[in-house]
Amino acid sequence: MIRMSLRQFRIQALVAAILVVLAVIYLINLGGGIRAVRDTSQLQSQYGQTMLFLAAGFGLVPALVGAFWGAPLIARELETGTHRLAWNQSVPRRRWLAVKLTVLGLASMAVAGTISALLTWAAGPIDQVAADRFSAILFGARGVVPIGYAAFGFTFGAITGLLARRTLPAMALVFLAVIAVQFAVPNLLRPHYLPAERVTVAMSADAINQARTLGSITGGPVVGGIAIPDAWVTDTSKLLTSDGRQLSDAAFDGCLTNAPKTGAIGTFGDVAVCLGKLDLHVDMAYQPNQRFWPFQWIELALYLGLSALLAAVGLSRIQRRVHPGQIMAWVRLRGARP
Amino acid sequence: METPLVLHAERLTKRYGRRTALTACDLMIPRGHIVGLVGPNGAGKSTLLQLACGLIGPTSGTLSVLGSRPAADAAHLARVGFVAQDTPVYAAFSIADHLKMGAWLNPSWDSALAERRIAEAGLDPAQKAGRLSGGQRAQLAMTIAAAKRPDLLIFDEPAAALDPLARKGFMRSLVEFVGELGASAVLSSHLLSDVEQVCDYLVVLCDSRVQVAGPVPELLASHHRMAGYPATMAGVEVIWAEYGRALVRAEAAVRDAEPVTLEELVLAYMSRAAGTGAAPRASAAVAR
Repeated sequence: MIRMSLRQFRIQALVAAILVVLAVIYLINLGGGIRAVRDTSQLQSQYGQTMLFLAAGFGLVPALVGAFWGAPLIARELETGTHRLAWNQSVPRRRWLAVKLTVLGLASMAVAGTISALLTWAAGPIDQVAADRFSAILFGARGVVPIGYAAFGFTFGAITGLLARRTLPAMALVFLAVIAVQFAVPNLLRPHYLPAERVTVAMSADAINQARTLGSITGGPVVGGIAIPDAWVTDTSKLLTSDGRQLSDAAFDGCLTNAPKTGAIGTFGDVAVCLGKLDLHVDMAYQPNQRFWPFQWIELALYLGLSALLAAVGLSRIQRRVHPGQIMAWVRLRGARP
Repeated sequence: METPLVLHAERLTKRYGRRTALTACDLMIPRGHIVGLVGPNGAGKSTLLQLACGLIGPTSGTLSVLGSRPAADAAHLARVGFVAQDTPVYAAFSIADHLKMGAWLNPSWDSALAERRIAEAGLDPAQKAGRLSGGQRAQLAMTIAAAKRPDLLIFDEPAAALDPLARKGFMRSLVEFVGELGASAVLSSHLLSDVEQVCDYLVVLCDSRVQVAGPVPELLASHHRMAGYPATMAGVEVIWAEYGRALVRAEAAVRDAEPVTLEELVLAYMSRAAGTGAAPRASAAVAR
């Protein structure tokens, strides 16, 4: 059954192998280039953007694996009717599915693991300088979690194909759903793997000038992008006054539009000075950087557990299914002669 | 120990949602026959055969194949060869790939038999299955099913899509395989001519129910054609009557009775099940 799984997988494996080889060559080059930079303080400005692109691109791998390896795996058999050939060989259906899931699941994990190992290696010097590998985007492109993503993408694809019975709709659905999951997890789940540390940060004019944004489209006294050293900031409250209440929109807008001229420099200039005088603070939640590896293992376990759950669903579903309705519909009525 | 029956169905019922495909079927088919399963389209033939090879499960009732639940385990799967309707094969695989697949997935695979049959059918092992004609594909599917040396071969409308010549070749191969393997076979068809040629046991399935089942010689011996509409007699069951003739079933000899052909017999049961073209008196004459 293992040889059969591999034989059916040949073309997809070939395409993937070519892409993986290209990725490996590129990453080795990249790693070399990064290591050739003498002045490490230049790394972030030279390669920071590349790292984000790579992380985003690598984030597509589970969706691609799910759509191109997972979804057609069973859906195509059901669609072309070949499951009726496969399931009447001397291999029980559950074993047939279990072997397919194992063989291709391991292949998916190997692909993701290889790319992740190389990317983690290539990005090593930058991660050391920038200390931002815990950030929402980069976290998913380092260490062991990509292995979990790939396992999930593949299993989800395979089981969706089994349930949907149609290859193309399953592929499209899986591609979008896996991407949606990868957006949802860093924002909704990951901040809560371990209880966040909390800190109150006084918003002096200097502190406000460290922020990336002030205000938002929807209004409100919002300050964005305040960093905490060696930590991943998961939540920042709105600007609070000394009695812990939210700064009124009127006061905030007043500073934004009519700050007294002081000739102050800094990102936000007079606005920062104006707000700084109000004795403001924000409450922040963060995860310290030393939790990077615990979080990696927790997220890997989460995705692997989810994959195992999906596989169990598939194994229980495959025993009872297959509607011969579409088969019977094909038969032309030639009927008995009257 | 008693030889287990090839097929043993008790009150076997299969429903798809609100549609009933098979209603309370009772069947006891002994070994050593080539069984023809005939009936119009939608009668439940495919359903019965897919139940028999374990592709689907019954809604209620039981079915045992060669003495155990269909597709119970690997060993049982090895004993039943199934050629599905429209003979599915992997289009991207060559014929040789299919034989390799058979060898990988079946411990009892007889590769000498498979290769010989492929050669006898005039097929090129290097050819992709997707490019085979319907007849060639059917030969390949049958070879895969037979080369694991099953005790029972099941064919679901195998010849439905074949031209007459390919159908003849297929039927000949089928009989040869069954003879060579010493296996039993069940073959469904909506064409009586297929069944007439090769089967020595007949099951007529209409309207989701088994109408009649038995060895062909016994069926022919116990059915008769009579003139007129016979009144209800003890031991005589009128199956169908029209045009002033009636087809009756009687175990004992009946006076003034003529022998029937298999076709007449099958059509009588089909007509009764369909209830079409009936003279009003005919239905009244059906002894229940």
